[in-house]
Amino acid sequence: MLERFALGAEIAFQPLSLLMMFIGVSWGIIGGALPGISGSIAMALLLPLTFGMNPAVALMMLAGVYIGAMYGGSITAILISTPGTPGAAATVIDGYALHKQGKSGKALGVSLITGTIGGIVSVFILVALAVPLSKVALAFGPPEYFALGVFGLALISSFVGRDLVKGAISAVLGLIIATAGTDPFSGTPRFTFGTIDLLSGVALVAGMIGLFAVSEIFHQISEGVDWERVRGRFKTDLPTLVELWKLRMATAVGIVMGTIEGLLPGGGGAIAAFISYNEAKRWSKHPEEFGHGSLEGVAAPETANNVVTGTAMIPLLTFGIPGSNGAAIMLAAMLLHGVQPGPQLFERTPQIVYGLFVGMLIANIMMLVLGFLALRPSIAIVNVRPPLLYAGILALVLVGAYSISNSMVEVWVVLVTGLIGYGMRRFGFNILAVVLGLVLGFIVEANLRRSLLISLGNPWVFFTRPISGLLLLFALFTLLWPIVRQVRDDRRARAPQPATPTVSGRLHG
Amino acid sequence: MRRADLLIGLGLLVVAAVYFQQSFAITRGFASDRLGPSFFPRLLAGVLAVLAVMLVIRALSRRSDPTPPPAMRLGAFLGTLALMIGYSVALPRAGFLVATPVLLAAVIWLLGLRKWSTVAGTAVGVTATLYIVFARMLKVLLP
Repeated sequence: MLERFALGAEIAFQPLSLLMMFIGVSWGIIGGALPGISGSIAMALLLPLTFGMNPAVALMMLAGVYIGAMYGGSITAILISTPGTPGAAATVIDGYALHKQGKSGKALGVSLITGTIGGIVSVFILVALAVPLSKVALAFGPPEYFALGVFGLALISSFVGRDLVKGAISAVLGLIIATAGTDPFSGTPRFTFGTIDLLSGVALVAGMIGLFAVSEIFHQISEGVDWERVRGRFKTDLPTLVELWKLRMATAVGIVMGTIEGLLPGGGGAIAAFISYNEAKRWSKHPEEFGHGSLEGVAAPETANNVVTGTAMIPLLTFGIPGSNGAAIMLAAMLLHGVQPGPQLFERTPQIVYGLFVGMLIANIMMLVLGFLALRPSIAIVNVRPPLLYAGILALVLVGAYSISNSMVEVWVVLVTGLIGYGMRRFGFNILAVVLGLVLGFIVEANLRRSLLISLGNPWVFFTRPISGLLLLFALFTLLWPIVRQVRDDRRARAPQPATPTVSGRLHG
Repeated sequence: MRRADLLIGLGLLVVAAVYFQQSFAITRGFASDRLGPSFFPRLLAGVLAVLAVMLVIRALSRRSDPTPPPAMRLGAFLGTLALMIGYSVALPRAGFLVATPVLLAAVIWLLGLRKWSTVAGTAVGVTATLYIVFARMLKVLLP
């Protein structure tokens, strides 16, 4: 174990790794600050640049973007009441209230320091859970992997977005796209339309850029999104130790909620941030300050969304199932480099896994420093007029897509998937479910068939094995839950009740 | 979104049918399992068809959300899309250093910034940055 950390540290402390993480975290803060550019979009935009890198360095850089974006999102949440990333939506409430009271610097400082604490703690949680879980994963047979894949898809369909039917359709469409190419079991070509290489890992990366990044730009252009300019000069003002001590409860709540959300495939920290905000209010000694500029109201969601950066890697590294948009991009980067996540990853290439562990610790500490240095550049970019931004990002996307394999195929894939993603967004479908279906298609199909081969065609094999039976039961419950909720809400709607104010926001994107 | 959902649901039914029909074109090959390479696609076609029917039924019932999707700036969107397609066609022929500043300037102008110094400055500046990063630092052979 210790020599594996030494191996990881060796690669993480190389000058090139440090430089790439520095660039990654800076880009993450700036991208995160831009409204609409979430952490996963900032990561997707960098994907083509990581192509020529050592896979360990590429993953560290992308993790750096993910970590930086979580802080970046709070900059615009606090200064112009527009969350830069979905994870910062809950930060708006008290962050912007503090800004109006002239305490913008303090709000930024609390977001930065609690985010760093959350990020560092999450790396320890990641190590503590991922290493033993990878041993559990080794014991998983084909039926368990099949059940896990189905459970992951059910969770995404049902909890991300509000529409179960459209979520499920999205996941199935992802699975259908994944069947094109080569049959994972026998190598037989199918649905190729004459272009076998279209759906290799390379096209998957272009597809991610299109679905996540281009669709968002199309969305912003077509709906005429605009945001306030940031006026005035700000500097990050770290809280004193006494002030920080008062935030201990809010930070602890954020850590717990962020861990839970990271482990479950679904959100990118937005849900954990909102739940943490509400829970921190309940546990606070001064719940009356929430909504009127409570530092705890900034600390809880900002801890939670940074915790997710580490804990979302747990299902990805151990089982190969990404827990968030950001983790899905990490998976695409792994596949691009021919790295297959799962328990074997820990055994065969420990330098990648442990390099990522050490790298994420370094990236969190870099964020603490860059939180001061990157504030001015972030504000400057937020103040750029949107048309200039859109034009620049679209050019970057198209050139980046070309650079993946020096061919126009990826450019067209980016355009087509961007258009599809925009259409899905507009009509309430679920992009993350498509992506998850796309990356899990292989696991689900191969393990379904392998299981039935072992059981000689008996489908009960999925239910008689305890772990796989339990996972499928969870999947069923997950799919039935929205229906139960709907019936309950209908009953409530018939009996008039006093309205209770709730916080809600855009939980996906 | 009732009307949109109805049309999408019917469209997805067609997709499921075509996909199901296409699964018969798969040759069995050397599949060592009983199910073969066409089983999973057929299963998915069935699931998609069921979900599409649910979407259609919901769109026809009163349960569905009658609010239409938000208004679009159709010109800006279609214009940007057309420019991106044009760029993708022109890139291998005109080359990166010609096509990219034209794309940038056209998108910025289309989206409402008309001050020529801003338009030209951004177009040239972004092209130069991308050129340095991709052609010089990453050694990509740009057309």
